[in-house]
Amino acid sequence: MDFGLVAVVVGFLLILIGIWGILTQKNIVKIVIGFSIFDTGLHAIMVGIGYLKGRTAPILDSAVSPADALTSIVDPVPQALVLTAIVIGLGVTALMLAYVVRLYDYRKSLDISSYEDLKW
Amino acid sequence: MVRKIFVIILLIGLGWFFYGMADSFHGSDSLNMTASYYAENGAEEVGAANLVTAIVVTYRGLDTLGEVTILFLTAAIAAFFLKSKEEFSKRDVKPSSELLQTAAGMLVPLIFVLGVYVFVNGHLSPGGGFQGGAIIASGLVLLLLSKPLQKVNSRFFALVESFSGLFYVGIGVAGIFLAGGFLDNSILPLGEFGTLLSAGILPVIYILVGLKVGSELSGLLTKFQETQEEN
Amino acid sequence: MVDSILLNPIYIIGIGLGTSFILGFFKSGRFQAHPSAMHSERIKTAPWVLMIGALTVMTFISAEWLWSFLFNGQLPQQIYTAGFEPPFSINLLMGRNEAFFTLMVNLVGLLSGLYLLDKFKEMGTHALSVYLVLIMGLNGIIMTRDIFNLFVFLEIASIATAGLIVMTSDVKALSAGFKYMIATGLISGFLLIGIIFAYYFGGSLNIDSLAEANLTTVQGGVFAVFLIVVSLLLELKPFPANGWGIDAYEASPVGINAVISSASAGATYYVLSKVLIITDAKWYAVTAVVGIITFLGSNLMGIKQTNAKRMLGYSSVGQVGLLLVILGLSEQLGNSFKFIIFGIMMSHYLAKAGLFWLVGIVKTGILKDWGILRKKPVLVFFMGTFIFALLGLPPFPSFFAKWTLVLTLSAAGLNLWVGLILFGSLIEAVYLFRWFGYVLKLDADKERSLSTPFYRTFPVWLFGLLSYYIGYVASVMVPGGETLGMFYLPLAFVGFLFIIDRYLPVWVKNTLSMAAMALYGWYYMAGLSEFRMLFAIIFIGGGIVTMIAGYAKSGKRVGFYPFVVMMYIGLGGLLLSENILQFFISWELMTLGSYVLIIRGKKSMPHALSYMMFSLGGAFLILAGFGLAFAGSGVSSISLDILKNVTRYSGLIYTFLAIGFMTKTAVIGLHIWLPGAHAEAESDVSPMVSAILLKAGMFGLVVLMLAMGSQSLGGVSLPYLLGWLGAITALLGNLMAAFQEDAKRLLAYSSVGQLGYVVFAMAFMSHLGWLTALAFALNHFVFKALLFLAIGGVVMRTKTKTMYEMGGLIKRMPLSFISVLIGIIALSGLPPLTGFAGKWLSYNAVIEKGWYFQGFLVSIAGLVAFLYCFRLIHVIFLGQPKDKFKNIKEAPIAMLIPQYILIGVIMLFSLMPNMVLKPIGEFLVQYFPDGALQWDGGTAVSSLGRWSGVAIMNITIGIFGTILIWLLFMSRKAVKVKQFNIFYSGEAPSRPELTHYGYNFFAPYKKAVGFLVQPLVTRFWDGIADILHSISDFVRRLYNGNGQMYAFQVILFVVVFSIFTIG
Repeated sequence: MDFGLVAVVVGFLLILIGIWGILTQKNIVKIVIGFSIFDTGLHAIMVGIGYLKGRTAPILDSAVSPADALTSIVDPVPQALVLTAIVIGLGVTALMLAYVVRLYDYRKSLDISSYEDLKW
Repeated sequence: MVRKIFVIILLIGLGWFFYGMADSFHGSDSLNMTASYYAENGAEEVGAANLVTAIVVTYRGLDTLGEVTILFLTAAIAAFFLKSKEEFSKRDVKPSSELLQTAAGMLVPLIFVLGVYVFVNGHLSPGGGFQGGAIIASGLVLLLLSKPLQKVNSRFFALVESFSGLFYVGIGVAGIFLAGGFLDNSILPLGEFGTLLSAGILPVIYILVGLKVGSELSGLLTKFQETQEEN
Repeated sequence: MVDSILLNPIYIIGIGLGTSFILGFFKSGRFQAHPSAMHSERIKTAPWVLMIGALTVMTFISAEWLWSFLFNGQLPQQIYTAGFEPPFSINLLMGRNEAFFTLMVNLVGLLSGLYLLDKFKEMGTHALSVYLVLIMGLNGIIMTRDIFNLFVFLEIASIATAGLIVMTSDVKALSAGFKYMIATGLISGFLLIGIIFAYYFGGSLNIDSLAEANLTTVQGGVFAVFLIVVSLLLELKPFPANGWGIDAYEASPVGINAVISSASAGATYYVLSKVLIITDAKWYAVTAVVGIITFLGSNLMGIKQTNAKRMLGYSSVGQVGLLLVILGLSEQLGNSFKFIIFGIMMSHYLAKAGLFWLVGIVKTGILKDWGILRKKPVLVFFMGTFIFALLGLPPFPSFFAKWTLVLTLSAAGLNLWVGLILFGSLIEAVYLFRWFGYVLKLDADKERSLSTPFYRTFPVWLFGLLSYYIGYVASVMVPGGETLGMFYLPLAFVGFLFIIDRYLPVWVKNTLSMAAMALYGWYYMAGLSEFRMLFAIIFIGGGIVTMIAGYAKSGKRVGFYPFVVMMYIGLGGLLLSENILQFFISWELMTLGSYVLIIRGKKSMPHALSYMMFSLGGAFLILAGFGLAFAGSGVSSISLDILKNVTRYSGLIYTFLAIGFMTKTAVIGLHIWLPGAHAEAESDVSPMVSAILLKAGMFGLVVLMLAMGSQSLGGVSLPYLLGWLGAITALLGNLMAAFQEDAKRLLAYSSVGQLGYVVFAMAFMSHLGWLTALAFALNHFVFKALLFLAIGGVVMRTKTKTMYEMGGLIKRMPLSFISVLIGIIALSGLPPLTGFAGKWLSYNAVIEKGWYFQGFLVSIAGLVAFLYCFRLIHVIFLGQPKDKFKNIKEAPIAMLIPQYILIGVIMLFSLMPNMVLKPIGEFLVQYFPDGALQWDGGTAVSSLGRWSGVAIMNITIGIFGTILIWLLFMSRKAVKVKQFNIFYSGEAPSRPELTHYGYNFFAPYKKAVGFLVQPLVTRFWDGIADILHSISDFVRRLYNGNGQMYAFQVILFVVVFSIFTIG
């Protein structure tokens, strides 16, 4: 079984689920949750892309000597990228929640259709 | 209802596109050009046992500087537009249970220590500045949950955050003068591979990142806590 | 060594970031929240000063680099990070483009930072940090060569933007910020998938390595390319998936808007252009298509906007669309690409930032409240500068860029693109000029004052002046730019007039302007030959004569003289032009100058707008025509002579140019702007625009027809069509003149009709026809200027233009009466005056050509001219004097002097028609050798007869003199009727105007032929405008303000885009 492919497929499914949430949920907190799911999907895909069958983590310790690294570790780059992506996603989520808090302060509503002041 | 049907149609379209992408993915049998370079030279050039850390902090150090900047941004934005409630300290909140308070008192220092351990050893084992910072912030969550009326000194977090950020940029600039360029790792000797004091300036950076992330997340959390409205 | 003094560009990032971290050390929070004594003013501004310092250094670094690229032959430099070489570490590039774009970003960042001082004081240090990080992030976006690093910087920029949007801190801003985050969150998600797949298929994250990997040829790699391109396009807010961006524009504080519009758009655009190298030609084409849809769609949306920020938002998005078109067509544009991008980009950058800053100074987004800006005329001047720059009018950089764009696209055979770009520009002009019209005309709220602290006006001044400087730079770079020296001195004088405008009284400026024009004519025009000289006499000589009337004005007349002179420079420039670039610049200068003159009239706001629209539409047709000629002549030259050598598209070129020129001569169908514009103008402006300006169109036709001769389109001879058009215009123009109640409108419609004669006569393409047309042009100038001045004098005294409110003025204003009398005799072509010569010639020409039916229409038009001439003099000067005008004075002497000069000219020409006709005939022989008039002393001999001016004058004076003496003798005993001896035969007049016989003077005729003067043409154009407005209003419902809707549109864009590109 190729875990890489599984991660990618699951990732895409999570993205679709996340988008479903973003587009259909009226509650803005749920929309933010949709985003988190969307982000998780992204991260799964990234990790899946870097996976190589039968290999181990890219840490050179007693299990993997620097000499064998080329043949025994998975791709470290997507892991590095996903770390960055997670942090960025976290920042975005936090900021969105901050928006939610302030929006709620103004209108005491979490329905996204209460915030359509600017249009056309 | 109509809306949901449209969304479903849209998602089918998107899903069809994603199917094409997943279908084009066949895994890999060997590391590609970039990854094999890191696998072969990472240990020697950077001196970090954890190759992911070597990439995150050194090879792609600019990304990492960027991501701490994003956390910094988030904290700053939240700070200027999340207004603190004036009646914060007068709120009538039910105290949390004795159990939680006692456990928190015991656990929080341990959690902090774990966080520090994780980011200090970021170049040797799984973990690093972000993970460590997040652990520290989780300790704070526990603290806030157990003592909802606790006034946290957010000024302290802001100072730590600014200090570590500035230091980080300073190290980067030092690289231009002392070594091969911005954020160059080799301004400190690489040391003996696999030991705590190795991998050049990398552990220092990761400690700073850990402090920065920890203080930023904590700052954000306190900000949220201060804005919290209890009914 | 040059390199050693250059600061490492990484310091831009380092200083930006470092300073924002330092800002964290300052006591945080809103300054206003702590009004305690602890916070003195100095402590408040210290963090701000720090940020400004950082931005200054960042700006300096970019400027230093750009300088050494431009002047020291600096080579692009790679900046490695972490001490390793790419593609294994992230590298930045500092090249000429990067230096240029980072300078743009940093400069507008610096100025907006200055501008936002108040806001920052209110928001505290955190906002300063966020702002600085935004600018830093944009620099990173521009310089990085690593695609994931690019993603990180994009995220930094978009999060910082989302944060700054809420600086206005109301719920609108918050909801806009939230929508912005939803949309950009989705977009960056797609970008991330694209990047990780690009890494999978390309084995690298370095853009240059990815370009070598040829992803589009790898199976699956195309998905990665697709996602990267589509998300970068989405970042640029393509129509219609851009509601989130537009809302953000409306909600943000204006200083931030300036950054979003000028800096972010520039940076993101540059990113797309550098990432497109990993794709292939197909993706460039796709970019161009998305661009044109955005350009057209956004500008269409702009029409219905009432809020300045939102409107400018649409305009910004539209401009980016245009940039995308250019980027997408870069292959086809070849060497001109960089110049075009430079021009359009600079204009957009300077103008958009400037306009947003102005919004903040005016402090209202409601367009109709903008009259208040008039309290600061300098700011009105800069607003005009920005709007003209945005629309690509000379002398701004985008003019030269658009010019080159059209010529190059035409040469490449991409005519459809030319058409769409010009159409979009026209729509953009609609709302921008309407806005400018509001500023110039609408009443201001007297209560409100305009606060203009230095830190807010300085950025506006700087960018305003830069627009001119960069325009100059662009003008030197454009092919043919070396021939533009002829404009420098005259335009410098216009600049001088602008500077002294607010300080000197009107008579000084009038004298200066007349002297300058005389010098201009003497110095530049002396060497002109043939028909150009004839027009020079009308334009410059006539211009000076009509300007004498300006002495009648008192005060300062701010904003008048620079534009008068500009108009005449344009007119003169047409005559001096040797290439199509000079010609087109002159055409636009004339249009600009006259637009401002026209809009000065009391009720002329809507008329000035429609004048501008028709003029710009015409100008764009001319531009398209020149482009085709450039392409169709086969030689890459911009000389006006290419019109003679056209081998392809000749019918189309002829049509475009002819229609373009006829927007100025106001041929029927394109005339609806004229009556209002001419009638509402000030009394000395009307003769300028009606008697002089219209001839510019005629001059264009002369150039066109002499160069291209007779052409046909689809088998129809174009001169034949023109002949019909001229004849119908003559008839309908005169008919409409006859039914006017407003004296100046009457004269204006009469001009429509008379330019119809000109077009008709020129369409003969024969010697006599052209002789008629050219002589008539001169005559028309003389008598129309005379009439407008005379009526202008009357209107000045009576304060009304409505004829039935006047009457019996002959006794009070006898000199004006004589002027009008002479004017209408000349106009209606009665012997003995000049008009008769024209009639005689034209009948000769018609008979010779054999266009009898058209000739019949024209002669009916001549009869109708009698009717309105009669009415003009009768209703105003004869009959019963009104009570309220009992003590009215004769027109001011300054108005009368030019009238009597013109009368002198009429007399001279009437006595010695050969003085005019002979030289014209002589040079016409080289173009139309057959059928020339023979001259026998002062007597003209045609194949059909002979005619002598002196003889006719003597005979006429003899006959009329006899009759007059006889009448005077007979009327010795006539009974004088008293003022109120009027009987209504028992009918009670229901409305006051019915008591005047002059009201609805030609009612019976109107019953008979009124159907001909139904405002069908007006309805047609109104209909077009309505359709545009309705489409705009309908389509903008897409932007329903719902965040989910916007997210839906973004994803839909991705899906549809995938179907069209890789599906």
